[in-house]
Amino acid sequence: MSNWSDLKNNPRLREIYTQRLKMIRLIREFFWSAGFEETATPAAVRFPGQEPYLNPVPVLFHDSAGVENKFYLQTSPEFAMKKLLAAGFGKIFQLCRCFRDFEQFGGNHNTEFTMIEWYRAPGTLEEIMDDTEKLFKYVAEKSGIGAVEHKGKKINVVGGWERLSMREVWKKYVGVELDDYLTSEKMAELARERGYSVEASEPYEDLFYKIFLNEIETKLGLEKPVMIYDYPEQMCSLSRLSKNDPRYAERFELYIAGLELANAFGELTDAVEQKKRLEADKEKRKQLGKETWPVDPDFINAIKQIGEAGLPAGALAEAGGIALGVDRLVMLFTGAKDINEVIFQAVGDQLDKTF
Amino acid sequence: MASTSEIRKGVVIRQQNDLFVVVEFQHVNPGKGAAFVRTRMKSLATGKVIEITYKTVESVDIVSVDFMTMQYLYKTGDNYAFMNMQSYEQIEMNGDLAGDDAKYLKEGLEVIVGMYEGRPVSIQLPKKVQYKVVEAPPAVKGDSASGNVTKEVVLENGLHVAAPIFIKEGEEILVNTETGEYSARA
Repeated sequence: MSNWSDLKNNPRLREIYTQRLKMIRLIREFFWSAGFEETATPAAVRFPGQEPYLNPVPVLFHDSAGVENKFYLQTSPEFAMKKLLAAGFGKIFQLCRCFRDFEQFGGNHNTEFTMIEWYRAPGTLEEIMDDTEKLFKYVAEKSGIGAVEHKGKKINVVGGWERLSMREVWKKYVGVELDDYLTSEKMAELARERGYSVEASEPYEDLFYKIFLNEIETKLGLEKPVMIYDYPEQMCSLSRLSKNDPRYAERFELYIAGLELANAFGELTDAVEQKKRLEADKEKRKQLGKETWPVDPDFINAIKQIGEAGLPAGALAEAGGIALGVDRLVMLFTGAKDINEVIFQAVGDQLDKTF
Repeated sequence: MASTSEIRKGVVIRQQNDLFVVVEFQHVNPGKGAAFVRTRMKSLATGKVIEITYKTVESVDIVSVDFMTMQYLYKTGDNYAFMNMQSYEQIEMNGDLAGDDAKYLKEGLEVIVGMYEGRPVSIQLPKKVQYKVVEAPPAVKGDSASGNVTKEVVLENGLHVAAPIFIKEGEEILVNTETGEYSARA
């Protein structure tokens, strides 16, 4: 918890908050000096993302005559920032508040949290990996916290990082060739063999995560930070398929001490495919009984513009982008026990539940 | 069968014919993908701790646990004795199940006890508990100048916490039971 009296009386919490303020400054310094422009986009949008498992917070705006307009607080600035790419801003970042409803008040979640997203167009997933590694090393060096502690073990952030493909981690921790388990049928078979309950027609992604979260994720990044890349095509989300092997998508996640800190894409710049995937996500929201809204038409137009920007006919432009949880970054560096310790007056603290 | 949204500390889940009490849970919702609940649970039969991750849309077999407000009385051997505030009935809880939280108990403290088939399986403490300081070394002049802003004090129930140097013996302070840290003067 971090109310004013805690910050005043508890030196550990005060130090965590002081480090937070410093790290926000360091993140900005890093991107400014790397030639990125800092952008600002609306916190409230008419058409938020379509991620099936996210719940945007609805808000009502009224004009002077009292006419009501429904908006949603952003779950991420992704759509708006890609629109800026379409406008020709090619190296951009934003530090902003995002909101995700129906999540735990505490632990690794707070309804309101701070995200940093950055994009490169043109740009590749490898460049985003390089940026990520350099950013963490910059924050580590400048804050004087070069290593982070996790369950009594030290993980050196300024030393060597690992980049492993999904194939490699499945081989290492589950002992199987992921190439052989790229269909729902095969993955369901594997899950059953390993003692998981499997329902009929479970989607590939859910089966994949059952094994991944139980047997792999908690072991990631325990020695050094690791970026896991090449996600099976079923989990491509808004990323493009790999040029070398279209069974996999250009996506990576960063793990340090078993904590997922960032998700990055080689951005999908094919507008037709983009619309198809978002409509499918919207359909899934409907099936899950969640509120739906139209796929943002302006976003699809922006993707079309990025895809076609100044390239020879037939080719699509390359762009890369990433979203990184700033509160989790601060948790990691400061050894905070709970996200509520790195946020001033987190939701749980404002509600002050004694039980 | 119940929804994973009902998983919280102290609920009891039936998993492969064994009963487990949830000691920790964490929602995992990366956004770009499905949502899960990661749980750490202790077997009621053996005390063994296991970790299981459920999909949020999965149904789990949560058995009915009654949560009752009880007052802590005293320690008896390895057990802790509580009194039900409604029926005035006394119960004893096994020290293993009470776990690390037991160190925050003090006579008269009201906690929420989870009862399964008449047997206590979990306790939930208030987020902050007030204690009397029974031992506090005097502040030494120059302490704060040399960077020593806290000192170790002993509380009425034997708990040791780091408190600001101005805290004196006989004062009442609030302690955060999630972190074991000093929170404020009561």
